[in-house]
Amino acid sequence: MLIGLPARLNFYFTMKSIYKFLLVSFVAATSSALLTSCDKTIEEPLRVGYTPATLDDKAGTWKPYILSTPTAVTVAAPVATTSSAYAAELSSLKAKSAELTRAQQEAVVYWGAGAVYRWNEIARELAAKYNLPPASNAAGTYPVPDPANPNADPRFPFANPPYTARALAYLSVAQYDALVATWHYKYLYKRVAPSKVDAGIRVALPVSSLPSYPSEDAVVAAASAVVLKAMFPGEVAFIDAKVAEHAASRQWAGMNVESDLTAGSSLGTQVAALVMGRARTDGMSAANNQSLTAGMIEAAQGRGQTQIWLSQESPIRPPMLPNYGAVSTWNFDRATLVKLRPGPAPLPGTAQFDKELDELKTIQKTQTREQARIANFWADGAGSYTPPGHWHRIAANAAHEARYSEVRMARTLALLGTTLQDAGVCCWETKFYYYTPRPQQFGVKTSVGLPNFPSYTSGHSTFSGAAATVLSYIFPERSQEFMDKATEASVSRIYGLIHFRSDCETGLICGKNIGSYAVNRGKADGSGL
Amino acid sequence: MKILRLFVVAGALLTGLPAWAQMPHDAIYMPKNSACIAGMYGQSTWNEYWEGSLKRANFNIGTHTTQSAMLMPAIGLSNRVNLILSLPYVWTKTSAGNLMGQRGFQDLSGWLKIRLAEHKGLSLHGVVGGSLPASRYVPDFLPMSIGLGARTVTSRLLVNYTHPRTGLYLTAQGSYNWRSNIRVDRDSYYANERLHQTNEVQVPNGYDAAVRVGVLRQKWQTEVFAERMANLSGDDIRRNDMPFPTNNMQATTVGWYGKLQPRHIGVNARVGYVVNGRNMGQATSYTVGLLYQIGGL
Repeated sequence: MLIGLPARLNFYFTMKSIYKFLLVSFVAATSSALLTSCDKTIEEPLRVGYTPATLDDKAGTWKPYILSTPTAVTVAAPVATTSSAYAAELSSLKAKSAELTRAQQEAVVYWGAGAVYRWNEIARELAAKYNLPPASNAAGTYPVPDPANPNADPRFPFANPPYTARALAYLSVAQYDALVATWHYKYLYKRVAPSKVDAGIRVALPVSSLPSYPSEDAVVAAASAVVLKAMFPGEVAFIDAKVAEHAASRQWAGMNVESDLTAGSSLGTQVAALVMGRARTDGMSAANNQSLTAGMIEAAQGRGQTQIWLSQESPIRPPMLPNYGAVSTWNFDRATLVKLRPGPAPLPGTAQFDKELDELKTIQKTQTREQARIANFWADGAGSYTPPGHWHRIAANAAHEARYSEVRMARTLALLGTTLQDAGVCCWETKFYYYTPRPQQFGVKTSVGLPNFPSYTSGHSTFSGAAATVLSYIFPERSQEFMDKATEASVSRIYGLIHFRSDCETGLICGKNIGSYAVNRGKADGSGL
Repeated sequence: MKILRLFVVAGALLTGLPAWAQMPHDAIYMPKNSACIAGMYGQSTWNEYWEGSLKRANFNIGTHTTQSAMLMPAIGLSNRVNLILSLPYVWTKTSAGNLMGQRGFQDLSGWLKIRLAEHKGLSLHGVVGGSLPASRYVPDFLPMSIGLGARTVTSRLLVNYTHPRTGLYLTAQGSYNWRSNIRVDRDSYYANERLHQTNEVQVPNGYDAAVRVGVLRQKWQTEVFAERMANLSGDDIRRNDMPFPTNNMQATTVGWYGKLQPRHIGVNARVGYVVNGRNMGQATSYTVGLLYQIGGL
């Protein structure tokens, strides 16, 4: 405003009032900034426990993924609540729950939000921690993370989207299968909650009429620990500490006697061992087989792909998991996967390709703040829990808000988790089948960072289409919201300038088709849901 | 899903591009009822940065450049109270890789500089300043972001001795920089060794300190300086990760500053070089300015 002042005489004359104005506004701005936000504590959403909307007492009959039947794992019959052994357990529980420290209270509230809910969240945190690509070395190559030495640089794993999709799928499947077996045994043995035997037990969480043997919390903790230690072998101590705190919190809360927990831990471990048996033979160990890419490129060129994908990194980085498309799917077979693969992308040089490239060049020049916001919100790039993690978070929150029982929460996340991995496998198979170039090979920059693998189809779009389809089935009243999110996640990759429109639109459709197989599974799993 | 390029914020961004002309860090005052308007251009480049304490290059960035154009009026409210304002327009680019440069008005800053005491060439000064983002730029697309997006409040004490006859001076300063939390577009991020499930991000507070030695004459000034800025908390850039506003950024800069102002119109220039740092680029920077004084001569 001073710049605009024209003449010197006027300037002298008006100077004082301007000073005054500037001084007052400056002091006001400064003090209001100070007063409103000196406290820099960050408030994060707090999730607390609830009484489930329904107990799902028939869940012992729901169809598991890996277990042939709940009785494939064993749980010994509990001692009677009238026995002296149980009385001893009760008095031990009474002592542990009588008086809690602040830290114990916090642990009770934290774990009380839900066993499946918290372990899913922990897995997402580990994904974010490990989702960092190896740095190049002095020789200009990229060392491969070593599972036998997970804490060396580069750390194992590089929890990229395909890796994380798989880790979360196994986690959710192990939790679900274990809880189906748990429900079977709970209603077989029907041992009531300790506080229903002895009204003198102080409980810190809502108590339902769900039988408490074996403890669903101990089941979930044990099953989750087996899967997560395999997926994140550098985190064994961290995971063990979480398991110990989780189990202890059930006693601090007056919810489980020791034998509830011991039986649960045993059941969870048994089921997870069976589930991880599948993981050892699902083809993941060959997902990073880089020797296959030459043949893939040749095959793509044979199908008419004139210009193929090239890594845009320096030094050239080998593509992310080129053979992930060969990893086992959950909800359909290999022949179906081939049918789910879309037709080819527009070829460079065609009018359609030029049109889509022009769209990106225009956005590069005119990107609005809203487009940038959408691109950033869904970017879920390096250092994040990836798009599969993002959708697990959305699903876990929706199930929490619907006050789902542990077993129904696990079913939700298993349907979601398996479809997300199916989406990853299908998308990767398509990417390396067509081997199409990225927009950056045509002079486009990016406002979110460029993934290091072929363009068509968009992973975000495929993941999101599949996830939104499954969540729409589970929460029909929120269907529009999930579909809108998927559409936004899909188009975010255009706004971020790393995908052509065809990559996104076709990927979204493929994702929805992929999701329908998980929906069919859900409709036929005996839950009646 | 984006694969990496490692990035670091340019040194200049962190301190909110404080100006170097009429300055919130010197003992020079515009006389009452006068003003000096500086128009300045600055450029800061680096091709190596510190990932935590690890010094490294990044072939997907090459040379990172931050440019800025800034208007900075300094106004003599009285002979011992000056008001200094600045508003930079900033743009960034890299020589390699494919990160899109960002551009826009960065932060509007205001400073009140007050001479608290003076005795035979020795003087004590207090400076309070604050800044507010002047546009809705993206603060967490580092190192391409043009700023960190935080509101800031700075309080500074400055001691100066000027030899009356020769104009030889020695200045020492220390400041505390308070920074507000910011909101980012994403609603989850990993920082300080855990996952945060919110779009609110804590930007660490920091301090800065500097020593300057120079000569100030009526029509010219020349000085050499050493500046140190560091956050008081914050995390390191993870191995091969991008930088983030929670990082504990630190830098030690040495440089030269000069000014020539025969009458109303003058010029100034500053060069700086980061000799040591953490979670920042090893920047070489220069600024040139055109000064125009109104009144007071």
